[in-house]
Amino acid sequence: MKYFNKISLLLLLIFTITSCTEQYVFQNTDFESALVVEGTMTNELKNQTIRVSQVYQLDETGPKFETGANVYITDDQGNEYQFEEKDTVYESISAFKAEAGRKYQLKIRTKEGKNYTSDEQTLTTETKIDNITATVEKVGSESGVQINVNSFDPTNSSKYYRYEYAETYKIVAPVWSPLETSIQISPAIPPDLENGFPGAPASEYILISQRKKETETCFSTKKSEDILLNNTNDQSDDRVHFPIRFISDQNYIISHRYSIFVKQYVQNLAAYTYYKTLKDLSTSGSVLSPKQPGFFYGNIKSVENPTEKVIGYFEVSAVSSERIFFNYADLFPKKPLPPYYESDCEIKDYLDCPGDFPCRQAVLRSLIRTKSRTYVSLNEPWTYFMVKAACGDCTTFSSNIVPPFWID
Amino acid sequence: MKKITLLLFLFVFQHITYSQVISDKVSVEFKNANLQTVIQNIEQSSYFKFYFDEKWFETDSTIISKQFKEVRIAEVLDEVLQNTSFNFYISGNKIILTNNSVIYNQLPDDYFGIPLEKDENGVAIAPVFYQQYDSLKRTNTRNPNKNTKEIIAIGKEVKNQKKETYTLSGYVRGGKNKEVLSNILVKIAGTKFATTTDKNGYYKLQVPPGMSMVETETFSYDKVTKKIMVYNDGTLNFTLIDNVNQLDEVLVKTNKNKNAKAAITGVTTIDTEGIKNVPLVLGERDILKVALTLPGIKTAGEGSSGYNVRGGKEDQNLFLLDHAVLYNPSHFFGFFTALNPYTTKKVDIYKGSIPAEFGGRLSSVFDITSKTGNFDKFQGEGGIGPATSNLMISTPIIKGKSSLIIGGRASYSDWILKSLDDEKLKNSQASFYDLIIRYNHKINANNDIESTLYYSKDKFSVSSDSLYKYSNRLATLKWNHSFNEKNKGSLIFTNSEYKFNIDYQTEGMNSFDFGYKINETQASVKMAYLFNEKHKFSYGISSKLYAIDPGYLNPKNPESTLIPIDVEKEKGLESAVYIGDNFKINDKLLLDLGLRYSSFAALGKSTQRIYEQNLPISDATVIETKTYANNEIIKKYGGFEPRIAVRYFLTADFSVRASYDKTYQYIHLLSNNTTQSPTDIWKLSDLNVKPESAQQFSLGFYKNLKNDELELSLEGYYKNSKNILDYKVGADLLLNENIETELLQGQGKAYGIEVLLKKQEGRLNGWLGYTYSRSLIKLNSQFNEEKVNDGKYFASNFDKPHDFSAVLNYRFTKRYSFSSNFIYQTGRPITYPIGKYDYGNAQYTVYSDRNKFRIPDYYRLDIGINIEGNHKIKKLAHSFWNISVYNVLGRNNPYSVFFVTDKGQIKAYKTSIFAIPIPSITYNFKF
Repeated sequence: MKYFNKISLLLLLIFTITSCTEQYVFQNTDFESALVVEGTMTNELKNQTIRVSQVYQLDETGPKFETGANVYITDDQGNEYQFEEKDTVYESISAFKAEAGRKYQLKIRTKEGKNYTSDEQTLTTETKIDNITATVEKVGSESGVQINVNSFDPTNSSKYYRYEYAETYKIVAPVWSPLETSIQISPAIPPDLENGFPGAPASEYILISQRKKETETCFSTKKSEDILLNNTNDQSDDRVHFPIRFISDQNYIISHRYSIFVKQYVQNLAAYTYYKTLKDLSTSGSVLSPKQPGFFYGNIKSVENPTEKVIGYFEVSAVSSERIFFNYADLFPKKPLPPYYESDCEIKDYLDCPGDFPCRQAVLRSLIRTKSRTYVSLNEPWTYFMVKAACGDCTTFSSNIVPPFWID
Repeated sequence: MKKITLLLFLFVFQHITYSQVISDKVSVEFKNANLQTVIQNIEQSSYFKFYFDEKWFETDSTIISKQFKEVRIAEVLDEVLQNTSFNFYISGNKIILTNNSVIYNQLPDDYFGIPLEKDENGVAIAPVFYQQYDSLKRTNTRNPNKNTKEIIAIGKEVKNQKKETYTLSGYVRGGKNKEVLSNILVKIAGTKFATTTDKNGYYKLQVPPGMSMVETETFSYDKVTKKIMVYNDGTLNFTLIDNVNQLDEVLVKTNKNKNAKAAITGVTTIDTEGIKNVPLVLGERDILKVALTLPGIKTAGEGSSGYNVRGGKEDQNLFLLDHAVLYNPSHFFGFFTALNPYTTKKVDIYKGSIPAEFGGRLSSVFDITSKTGNFDKFQGEGGIGPATSNLMISTPIIKGKSSLIIGGRASYSDWILKSLDDEKLKNSQASFYDLIIRYNHKINANNDIESTLYYSKDKFSVSSDSLYKYSNRLATLKWNHSFNEKNKGSLIFTNSEYKFNIDYQTEGMNSFDFGYKINETQASVKMAYLFNEKHKFSYGISSKLYAIDPGYLNPKNPESTLIPIDVEKEKGLESAVYIGDNFKINDKLLLDLGLRYSSFAALGKSTQRIYEQNLPISDATVIETKTYANNEIIKKYGGFEPRIAVRYFLTADFSVRASYDKTYQYIHLLSNNTTQSPTDIWKLSDLNVKPESAQQFSLGFYKNLKNDELELSLEGYYKNSKNILDYKVGADLLLNENIETELLQGQGKAYGIEVLLKKQEGRLNGWLGYTYSRSLIKLNSQFNEEKVNDGKYFASNFDKPHDFSAVLNYRFTKRYSFSSNFIYQTGRPITYPIGKYDYGNAQYTVYSDRNKFRIPDYYRLDIGINIEGNHKIKKLAHSFWNISVYNVLGRNNPYSVFFVTDKGQIKAYKTSIFAIPIPSITYNFKF
């Protein structure tokens, strides 16, 4: 029996070891490029934009913009709105807006001469955002700020909504100093034999000077990446109360003043479904079951070859936008600030002398040269107190330009 | 000798005329008297003298208590001998008792050579008993070495009763353990009187009166011939002796009798006894794995628990274990079959035409039958393998009347894993067990009861944070009753339950407990009516109640952000009536006609969404939510399912068969894994999910070559199906309250040609099979989101056009044999990511058309050596060693190919399960 156990152990080991996973080189010779069109035309009077790009290979870094195309929108009244290439988008030459009741079609002619056209789209119901609210709430075990979008369509015809937001927040560097350090080079001094000076080689020294630009207060702006969708289909009223963003009270972005700009697009069912599929497929499946992968069409078709794969959706959507601001102190009075962007803002000292420990001249100068630590203070003789750059200079990860819409 | 003496008496007395000079009335009283006492009493109280053989009474247990006063002796004897096999003949004061036969006081008209009328079967009707005895005696004296078989008298003769046929019934047992044998042909030599034993080994045969030779015919046992003298209905049991040359060599016994005579196409029987030489992974004897080497039966991948039969989905197979549905017939992701190999008797697989008695699944029926326990003695069988051990014990409860068979199997991988040093392996789990108990009780010749209880459980973890458990439970109760010679029936109750549970433990707060359960209860009546030689009818009715608990999710941590979910329960009633006629038009042409009507009612309590017509079903198109009360009918579906098969013999060994079948299915398995997994869920048809239906046309040619040594068959089929379930791109199925929004129902199309060459006998035996088949599906709609691959037909997940398998055995000596099997299959289809693009502020992956690519082809060779213990008859246990190597070529067959996004790079990985040869050794024993 003992002998037998050994055998089974051996076999089981083999069994365990043999079930292996290895990287598999799958032939990507079947790579097919496909045109990707992203266009949401709105009822705002502006230069409308359309993005046109190409699918790129899995091992490439994108995006791969489609250049040299002729892009234009036509309507059922014979108007034609021409677009021109600007950087990475196509922008309408003149400002115009979608009018209710008209049928719009997007047309693209690539530089290879291939033609693509979208289905006809009409403007969706215009429903304005009533307001945006920011309230302190507890979601599960986390407390934080819940931002909700509220709107109401008395005609009960909007139903499908897509949201985008851009959040902007003020950052204040916690260990900021008006002074900064830099490495300077003193040139070599030639020997002055007449005075008996043997000369000196070129040498480096640390210069402490006043900061020349704003580094204490910064502003960061982030755009929503996820596809945010909502529908009011199961409600009797077309009333929206959509939790668009939840920010934990441990998130540094609400430490001082925070602003969110929300855009609400009213969609038609087909556009909504397209975005929903895109969203479902991109989020990984649950632990238990994977998602069904596959290709899915939008509303853009090739004129010459109707079965050609074209990705993307052209929609004509009524948009409404709204911005709010709030301060941390107003929502969380007397509560400590959330942890800063950089959690390790400990000040460290460096003795600027050559040689072995405790001297750390080489380390210190390298830190200053690479700007990985910023200056806090100096203790004679030559002990520099330094902190991680993010703690002393917010421009290392943010921008010191005050956004034009910012109201303090 | 006694009988011959009797015969002499008979000659002496035939000229004595009956006289009534002396009073023939007697007065006697019997109190719990046996026959011998009765006779003594009569002799004492009257002047009558009895002539008989005392030995006859040794086996007679008649007890009589009765008082007679001045009753004529004939009446007394009539009453006393009423329930015995004895007849009497009164001549003067002499009473001659005869066993079975009646003494005639005159010779029959035809005794001296006048030809008798013969009936259509070529058997004389009139009693020709004397002459038969005479001629027998003459044969014996002339040729003493031949035909010296004892004549067995059947039944008690009744004077003036002239029936064309009598009923002979009994049991057929055989083998070392005297187990009951089913499907054994019992026939009267040289006539058309023939039948086969049922699964309890019981047969009922119409026999002509008089002398006959009864024979049994089977492949694994020696032929037994018995001479019988039929006087009346009677019993005759057979004990068959192993046919040593063939035992263990016959791998898959296509039931020859069935094959030769049945009209239906695409039926295969696999016998467990026959498969023990086939090399299998980890030495497990596995009846369903053997099925995979037959044309038309496939699995999506090594280690996939589902079977695909003739291009059908995994959920389209009805697995029946002793009549109850077995929802998941596999252990550990399909590596092992959840059937005890020692209690399983056989599996009948219907992949072509499905008899009308079965229904509810589109593609096939796997009718698994368990063994019946030994009615006479205790016996057991077992096997010890590297991963699991099996034991079967069979014992009589009441000798000759009832028996119990218990089978158990357990894996010990868990224990081995725990004893390992590796920390990662130590914490992983993989264990399973199954248990089966079967009870048979013979009440009398016309009634018997059988019952099966079965339970299987699996527990495993694929990652350290989740523990998966699933279990099957089923119970059956069946009462078989013979109303008369022509009518038989069974009343069957079954209950099956399948459930799974996932215990997800994570470091954070999101631990949860997830579960699913399906339960069904069925009552059915199955009747058989042998109308005449030409028509055999079968008919029945069944009704099944489903209760599904589609899932709950309970967060384990009160702080959890997870929301508890409890999806609303589903209920449904599936009922069916059927009638079938096996209609033999002539010797060459046989029709098997069946008609089944099935219906399904989705029942409340439930809330169902109503979606806007002519729009895709999605959350966005709901117009109303309707609530139904408990047991209120939500929606009814139903339809006729004709099952027609025809067989025609072109020549004696060449037949052609054609069939048409229609099937409905009201329960669907939701699985968007390419392979079936234990966490797939069954869903009933309801307001928004229509039942699936399929039609299959098949045509087959069957030819026996070289004196039946080789069997060649060629079958072709074309199948189309409707409302086949598939999923929208991006579908998420688990715990989805409104699952219909993720589903698509499309058309399926499958066709194929299957060639099978079998050699059942001889030193070299086995089979070669090749299948070319396609399985396609079309999901079309006017809406893009409901269209897959542009609304054109595309390959299903299990479309594997080329499939070749060879199973060969070679027997060196009686003790040593070599076996091998080879399998080649086209790789299955897969959907690849083919590129990336930017949209909005994020990056997305583009996938190819659904199932546009294929994973590499699959092939595998396994070999095995079987060593039988010595053949001494008197031994404590008979043993058998199996040494086998799985995947000798070490082929790295991909089980799955998947994609992972790693630092913005999408990488493909393939997983193989058995990438190197796996040796194993199994010890089997029998006592």
